[in-house]
Amino acid sequence: MSAVATAARPRRVTARAIEGQELVLLGVLAVLWLVLSFAVDTFFTASTLQDLLAAVAPVAIVGVGMTAIIVTGGIDVSVGSAVAVAMVIVGQLVRDSGLPFLPAVLVAVAVGAVLGLINGVLVAYGRVHPIIVTFATLNLYRWLAFQIFGGEEVNNIPGTLAALGGGAEGRTAGLPNAFLLAAVLAALMWAYMRYSPTGRHLYAIGNDAHAARLQGVRVTRRLVSVYVITGVLVGLAAVVSIGGGGRIGQAVGTGFELQVIAAVVIGGTSILGGRGTVLGTVLGALLVGTVSAAVTLLGWPSELTALFIGVFILVAVGVDLLRQRRRRSL
Amino acid sequence: MTTDTQTPETQAPSRAGRPSVGSMARTLLEDRVALLVVLLVVLVAWFFALSAGGYLVAPYDLSYMASALESMVPLAILGLAELLVIVSGRGGIDLSVGAMVSLVGMVFGFAYGQWGWGFLAALLLALAAGVVLGGVNGFLVAYLRVPALIATLAAYYAYSSLALISNDNAPISTRPLQDLNSITHSVQLGGLAIPRQVFTFVLPVAVLIWLLVNRAPYGRRLYAVGTNEVAARYASLDVARVRFGAYALSGVLSAVVAVVTVAQFASARPDAGTVGNGMALPAITIAVLGGVAIAGGVGRVGGVLVAALLIVWLNAGILLYFEGSQGSQYQLFALGAVLLISALFNSLILRRRGAT
Repeated sequence: MSAVATAARPRRVTARAIEGQELVLLGVLAVLWLVLSFAVDTFFTASTLQDLLAAVAPVAIVGVGMTAIIVTGGIDVSVGSAVAVAMVIVGQLVRDSGLPFLPAVLVAVAVGAVLGLINGVLVAYGRVHPIIVTFATLNLYRWLAFQIFGGEEVNNIPGTLAALGGGAEGRTAGLPNAFLLAAVLAALMWAYMRYSPTGRHLYAIGNDAHAARLQGVRVTRRLVSVYVITGVLVGLAAVVSIGGGGRIGQAVGTGFELQVIAAVVIGGTSILGGRGTVLGTVLGALLVGTVSAAVTLLGWPSELTALFIGVFILVAVGVDLLRQRRRRSL
Repeated sequence: MTTDTQTPETQAPSRAGRPSVGSMARTLLEDRVALLVVLLVVLVAWFFALSAGGYLVAPYDLSYMASALESMVPLAILGLAELLVIVSGRGGIDLSVGAMVSLVGMVFGFAYGQWGWGFLAALLLALAAGVVLGGVNGFLVAYLRVPALIATLAAYYAYSSLALISNDNAPISTRPLQDLNSITHSVQLGGLAIPRQVFTFVLPVAVLIWLLVNRAPYGRRLYAVGTNEVAARYASLDVARVRFGAYALSGVLSAVVAVVTVAQFASARPDAGTVGNGMALPAITIAVLGGVAIAGGVGRVGGVLVAALLIVWLNAGILLYFEGSQGSQYQLFALGAVLLISALFNSLILRRRGAT
């Protein structure tokens, strides 16, 4: 037994920085991009890749927070409705009151943080299962968004927030600022969850909340914090989604939560909690974005995207289960 | 209907002879069905009062309540489907019921509307399709041990996508399907026009599920597996097979809803169960409101049915209180608020039980 443990140790140290699932994902992405470059002439052009990265950004940004939530053993299915609330508030303020860039971002972040705080308090203090709490707030936030919409969509939004949008103003050195933002946020979260004590506590809570509490981890505080963080990120995703302006339809954000959860799960985070990294989530978001771009570029019916996402989720979970089983048998 | 989840405390007052106010209050707290019935009466009385006071845009009376029952089919039957999978434990949940309704509805639409099959044959095909789709979920969850949330999320994606692709995103509304609408016409009963599907689908399904859960060996096994999987395994139960059965049954119930929905719309719509927030969310809400504990092993058929009635008549009342699209938006609010309050209430009860 001890011989196995010592033999396994050096390999685990080298494999720590990038874990198995992430390597697999990188491989799948590379193969997918290679195949696409042969199948579609226009795939490896700047505009296609810029559109792809810009489209992935909101999912990746919220995915960063969702990873932390799922690592604690929770889930948040209300993010789609929360994005809608933040978008309609900020959209109306930017259009009607001429709110400049920075205050608009702050308002979006504040709105998101409050909505996240409500989820966090209900989960941590109400001791209700997170999926039930956030299913309820999914409805409540959607209702709130409808109330603010007031029966009509928000039209003619000026380009105040274009610096984070998908257009030409929103790029630095050819890369969409929104995606750079997602990358920076992911790096910060990755470092937090990997090196800071409170970040490590998230894994402890996900593995065994009771044991973590006995060890002195402030479980309720950590739980509230991950939902608030996700709320802040929801606000940023709302800003990114408004981007260059235009219109916001009343159904905005519907189904967004499923894309985010799909990205997190494909990224190798265990839905049971205690395991997962933000890096995997970003790769998962890229994979989902690539698939949906590929379906469009290949001229296939767009409904196929959902089928592929479903299959990818199952493959990702299957690979994860196999690796776990192998690890257990060592 | 008072079987397994009764606690000793609730039976104590009847022995004491005349129940005191305190013990009645405790009965209400402990017995979810009794509480829901009281809530239902209060709700209906409240809407009657609003109606009498002229606050509603149309009268809220018995005939309106009867016609509102047509929206009970998906809510009650899918609520029972969620009861089965949630009771089966280990984080059991089925997010794919709405997608299964869409996909099975298309299968039924093809068979009955385009291939010219008879009704019975098409119905059997639909039920078989439900078994297969639910069985896929069950296989993933019970045998491969994929977390239910993930397995059924993936299934939701896959099934809803297949439903949309099956007929190029177009509904099937051929002559036979339009004629099928007659099975959802209302029947006159004591001067009230009650939608026929309540008698032909909701009641038989409810009775069958009640018998299955409360009187059949399978029901005992299901609660055993959901309450304590390890103990169930030591009692030499085939845990995986019992759990597989719950998900397969969820598929069958979704198929029943699919057929009724096709008849109700007089066409097979590829997004019937997934449009908007879909059918899964209200179904889960009703199960939780009906007292099904998300941790598994606890839940009663009666609770789910009364919860479905409560939501149906609440939604119907809201539609009359608000004008235009405001009504359907406030239904979202009501659904969310009811789910949250009932879940907080559930956890409060669990904590009280845990303390004493």
